[in-house]
Amino acid sequence: MQAEVSEVMRWSRCRDSAPPPPLAGEVRTARGQISHILRAALLGALALAAAPAHAFIAYVSNEKSNTVSVIDTDSWTVTKTIKVGQRPRGIDFTRDGKFVMVAVGDDDTIQMIDAKTQGVVDSLPSGPDPELFVQDAAGKTLYVANENDNTVTVIDLEKRARLGDIQVGVEPEGMTISPDGKTLINTSETTNMAHFIDTAQRQIVANVLVDARPRFAEFKHDSSELWVSSEIGGTVSIIDPKKHEVIGKVVFEIPGLRKEAIQPVGIGMTKDDKTAFVALGPANRIAVVDVASRKVTKYLLVGQRVWHMAFTPDEKYLLTTNGVSNDVSVIDVAAQKVIKTIQVGELPWGIAIAP
Amino acid sequence: MKVLAMVALALALSGTTARAADPRYPNWPCTQAKVPEISLAAVWAGPALDDAETKWKNDAKITALVAKLSARKTPMDEAEKSVKDFLAASADKTTNAKLLFAGLFDTLNAQRSQVMNGLERVSHKQREAADKIREEAIQLQTLQGATPRDEAKVEALSNDLIWKTRIFEDRNKVVRFVCEVPTAIDQRLFALGRVIQQEME
Repeated sequence: MQAEVSEVMRWSRCRDSAPPPPLAGEVRTARGQISHILRAALLGALALAAAPAHAFIAYVSNEKSNTVSVIDTDSWTVTKTIKVGQRPRGIDFTRDGKFVMVAVGDDDTIQMIDAKTQGVVDSLPSGPDPELFVQDAAGKTLYVANENDNTVTVIDLEKRARLGDIQVGVEPEGMTISPDGKTLINTSETTNMAHFIDTAQRQIVANVLVDARPRFAEFKHDSSELWVSSEIGGTVSIIDPKKHEVIGKVVFEIPGLRKEAIQPVGIGMTKDDKTAFVALGPANRIAVVDVASRKVTKYLLVGQRVWHMAFTPDEKYLLTTNGVSNDVSVIDVAAQKVIKTIQVGELPWGIAIAP
Repeated sequence: MKVLAMVALALALSGTTARAADPRYPNWPCTQAKVPEISLAAVWAGPALDDAETKWKNDAKITALVAKLSARKTPMDEAEKSVKDFLAASADKTTNAKLLFAGLFDTLNAQRSQVMNGLERVSHKQREAADKIREEAIQLQTLQGATPRDEAKVEALSNDLIWKTRIFEDRNKVVRFVCEVPTAIDQRLFALGRVIQQEME
């Protein structure tokens, strides 16, 4: 045993002697701000000459550097790096676009960032270790998955107050809500199931078995199908949400790539429900899936360990977070091509784009 | 009784891996799902490496550079500069770029496998150690409840348990830390591959 331990110890020492990685996001901030100012000045000057393209603002949570990177989708640069609490993961805008909510798991809370001042202004009463959350269509109720105590906390977003908890009995992982707000889906890594929760009764009404380690769930916009990704199983299960049955599966095969490297996590679907994008983790690729035939039409090489993604509101671009290469890839949705890579902080996890 | 409480706590904490175990790799102790080897397609979008996969070993310049770039004590900035300098000075840039990447791919993949195997071996032994600690804890409880109580034996076994538990906890900490090493290697290989591909264009 001693030999093995000393072997791993040697590795940890090697690591110690290496200098700490540069804080890419923070260095870039200064430059980003300058370019932001320049760009603003230029835009002002050109405003009369030509209408500028729509620019959006994306917020990326960096799990390891405890920051949120702000990206301008016009210049594709990081314009600001906001210090937040410990271990930021789940991130989303309030429906009115005024605040960005970010779950800071190790601080047991959800912080609110003012989108105007780009600083943390308030926090929400989640349970312990919040990982991610979803809100209903109206943006009135927030459901928070607390990784450590097997509950989902229900929060009134207007009052910023806790309404109660739902005992889900298992460690909640992925979460989504049906477009009508009546059903909350919670995936569990311990049971390998998608649990259907009635939001009015706050009780589990159905359980559907999927493949190993379900990580993420997404409804089609027309509510006819629920897609659930399985990280270890390497598939996406398609569930009929009325019958609570698996009606199909998306499988992935990439020539020259080990099966274990294909670990589906995040799913994004276009508003017309025709095309789905599935992040494949350490395969470093996004699969483009034809929703009707449930077949992969293309694989796009992005950065390392891609997990989550967000569309710009005009659906021209899809941005993905690549946790190991510490960057965000920009995909041109119509052309189905990666057009840009933006360095952010360490371990980028979630992403939200201003509505 | 304190000893038993400590043992219970150590064993309880060791079981709190956030994720369910991968049935394919029951001894894998890390949070991220195990990918046994890096596939070339995951890190290289450049031209086919062809015979560079075997030939890189015959080129002394390449092997020396590969050794330097693979060592994590070489800072990334310096590593990237070395790649650029080397390729800029190469007469046949494409061939040298392929040889260099082939060497890095082989070497870093081998390093990574070594670390992962080590992790799984230690994790397996940790399970055995946990079983042993559990067994001794039960023995201690029996000894403590016996009449007449053999104080010398109780003390000897208590001390033994304290040591075993401490070693167990220390190794668990090391495992958690070393779990980041395979990812750090992935990161280095990908970053170096990116620079090499940029230089080829």
